[in-house]
Amino acid sequence: MTVKQPNNLPDWLQQPNQLTSQPQRHNFLAHNQQHLTHLLARLAQPAPAVNPTRWQLSPSISLIRLGILVLLIALTNNTIWLWVLGLLLAGHLLVLAPSQLRRFTRSWLLSTGIALVVVLPSYWLVGPATVLLFVCKTGLILASTQYYRLTTTFQDLLSGLKALHCPNLFIMTLAVAITYLRMLGHYLLQTMMALDMRLVAPAKHPYQLIGTLFGNLFLKSHAYALELYAAMEARGFNGQYVNQPTTTNRWHDYLTLTPYLVLVVVFIFGGIYGIN
Amino acid sequence: MALIELTDLSYDYPNTCGLDQLNLQLNAGEFICLMGPNGSGKSTLLRILSGLEPATHGTYAFDGQVITTDYLADPQDRQRLHQQIGLVFQNTDVQLFNTSVVDEVAFGPRQLGLSEAEITQRVEDCLALTHSTDLRDRVPYQLSGGEKKRVALASVLALNPKVLLLDEPLNGLTIAAQQQMLTLLKTLQAAGKTIIMASHNFKQVQAVEPRFVIFNADHQIQADLTAQELAKQPEQQAELLTL
Amino acid sequence: MHIPDNYLSPATCGTLVLAVAPVWTVAVIKVKAQIKQKRETLPMLGIAASLAFLIMMFNLPIPGGTTAHAVGGTLLAVLIGPWAAVLALTVTLLLQALLFGDGGILAFGANAFNMAVIMPMVGYACYRLGEKLHHPKIGLFVGAYLGINVAALVAGIELGLQPLLAHTASGAPLYCPYGLNVTVPAMLAAHLLVAGWVEAIFTVLVYQFVHKVAPTNLYQAAAPQSRRPWLYLLGGLAILSPLGLLASNTAWGEWSPAELKQRLVAEHISQQAPQGMVQGLHFKALFQDYTIGNLPISVGYILSAVTAVLIFLLLMRGLQHDSQTTK
Ligand SMILES: Nc1ncnc2c1ncn2[C@@H]1O[C@H](COP(=O)(O)OP(=O)(O)OP(=O)(O)O)[C@@H](O)[C@H]1O
Ligand SMILES: [Mg+2]
Repeated sequence: MTVKQPNNLPDWLQQPNQLTSQPQRHNFLAHNQQHLTHLLARLAQPAPAVNPTRWQLSPSISLIRLGILVLLIALTNNTIWLWVLGLLLAGHLLVLAPSQLRRFTRSWLLSTGIALVVVLPSYWLVGPATVLLFVCKTGLILASTQYYRLTTTFQDLLSGLKALHCPNLFIMTLAVAITYLRMLGHYLLQTMMALDMRLVAPAKHPYQLIGTLFGNLFLKSHAYALELYAAMEARGFNGQYVNQPTTTNRWHDYLTLTPYLVLVVVFIFGGIYGIN
Repeated sequence: MALIELTDLSYDYPNTCGLDQLNLQLNAGEFICLMGPNGSGKSTLLRILSGLEPATHGTYAFDGQVITTDYLADPQDRQRLHQQIGLVFQNTDVQLFNTSVVDEVAFGPRQLGLSEAEITQRVEDCLALTHSTDLRDRVPYQLSGGEKKRVALASVLALNPKVLLLDEPLNGLTIAAQQQMLTLLKTLQAAGKTIIMASHNFKQVQAVEPRFVIFNADHQIQADLTAQELAKQPEQQAELLTL
Repeated sequence: MHIPDNYLSPATCGTLVLAVAPVWTVAVIKVKAQIKQKRETLPMLGIAASLAFLIMMFNLPIPGGTTAHAVGGTLLAVLIGPWAAVLALTVTLLLQALLFGDGGILAFGANAFNMAVIMPMVGYACYRLGEKLHHPKIGLFVGAYLGINVAALVAGIELGLQPLLAHTASGAPLYCPYGLNVTVPAMLAAHLLVAGWVEAIFTVLVYQFVHKVAPTNLYQAAAPQSRRPWLYLLGGLAILSPLGLLASNTAWGEWSPAELKQRLVAEHISQQAPQGMVQGLHFKALFQDYTIGNLPISVGYILSAVTAVLIFLLLMRGLQHDSQTTK
């Protein structure tokens, strides 16, 4: 094998670098890398946090249930109602494994706490009763949406929307968005790492770099879109997004939904007869 | 004392294992080639060596300094480390983010606060060494795969790192370009740099007689041999040829 | 700027979904035309949605050591076209609401209205104006700044109207407890002073990069035969307005600009008066005009919800037909 000798190395490359260091206050890259790593770890989780073997709801029903629950909580301002709804929700929480319940409680308390901080100043405007009611309602809504997130995978969300007859174009876009969120997120993380490697001094123009980072990300998105379209066409894409049917027990579905439907009926007629 | 010392080093991804209990000592001025099946952890190891992420278990010491999570969290320490270690990524797309090749190569030296004359000098030298002088005014985004590899190496070289990490730098290059790149790396090694590269091209890499660190599919080190030792083990060679 | 649940009354949420529905319809029609020109626009919708997600997630450093977020509404409009941006941002917001808990589920319509419609549209309009005056970058800068601020203003108004629109008989607000005199200044101060500049600088820098590296990847506006979309939009609104009236008659007043303005003025004056009594009385007086008929308010809500669902179903049917013809 003939190995051609390159021209001699320049002097500066033969001597070791003199290390410099400059103080730096804020490192935006490190912070965002951490943030993105968490997101990617979350997206990589294919299975739902809860594994409902016996009591599996069809995805569309759990979506409907979420909608009804949130709407009912938002509409009412009767504490008894809120109480009943809270009980119903607490019943669902029993399904969670203890560790998941702890995790749920922690993040729920945090988000409710934030809501409390936001409304607290209004105490002087409107008095304690309103603030309390507001926090209760917000807390309940947060709990129900968080329960949904904990028990639902991306795939479930898609098939739920599909079963509710969402347009195919929309489902497909959502599916693409979820898939590519991972790919683009990974790409962005790698770009940030590469930048980190060569950012050997505090950035003088961090915004310039961020502009470059996202400009690159857009170009990558564009390249992905071209590839994806070619792949779609190659596989005979016809605008239909097909997903596998889920096998669930209809009976369970209706049984779970019944209390909610009863509540809705009571709510409507209760309004007429002045119950709430 | 070895330049790089790994003791019982493991790395776990959220769902899978990346590296499992590595013990390794790499000396300054060595040429090391990491080999192993796909997904065996070569890229992961290079990422840890470059100080982008801390290991999950075990210790990594660079030049006597243990690289801990706290060490990497300190921006000043992190930047000092990055001045000594350069990394060429497996996917070079992520590495080239400037609007022209010249700017790309000048990016690192500019951070160091060198004078304009020095920066120009470094840029010209690096482009010449990587045979990419004619690309100087092109947009990196529009380069071909092989051209990108060369520019990526030039841009890392411009920082004059003590240790050069390369993740599959030969991928997508023609045989002639592979030989050019390896010769350059060998010259750099002769000038005292430490070269650590991951590669699948056993045949080409053999020519520069590196030390081979071979991974197995369980993310562990299966063998650690000099080129001379490897020459005496035909079955090991046969295995490497299949990678 | 993501409004969480329980800050807006369900009625407001319903109205805003009604307001966005025709825009979505037009966006779908426009994007279909765009897909015929540039096939990759179809997958680009989803990919751009994830791009927007990442933009909204990224912490941008600001002087003083804290961070801010960009939204990227205007940027997306310029990169992939305004109508595609409307759809992509809608998908982003839906993902955030359902799977990441950013922004409410009921408030989805409101968030979509602010961030997926107003922001890209205002921003893009300014950009086009700048382009006509041969200063596209200035147009873009102004557009991004104005876009996020108008969106913030609208969000502030939506929130601040809540004490007026939904309260108990004694005047205690049921949803967002702050009036316009709090929400609008709060939203505007944050965005005029910080977030707007961050957004504008970010937008221009990304645009500049793409413009330099791959100008052909930018969205090219179609030749000026494009007065059609506005006709579609007007037509859509005209068709929808009876439905809107139906819903508004039962639940709340219609929001004509004059009335809105009147209410804004009234609210402002009342809030400046120190006693809570004045406020309460004033609320009552206003409320009389706005509950029409004897229907209980909850039935009104249900009706408006059903209306929204029906519109959604109709929208879907139109889409389904077309997605089969893309074969
Ligand atoms: N970001 C990630 N998240 C989760 N797992 C990962 C990630 N990156 C790599 N892995 C896993 O870690 C293991 C080691 O991956 P690594 O990229 O280091 O392999 P490699 O030796 O470089 O392979 P190749 O030769 O294909 O480049 C693989 O099993 C891989 O699936
Ligand atoms: Mg690899």
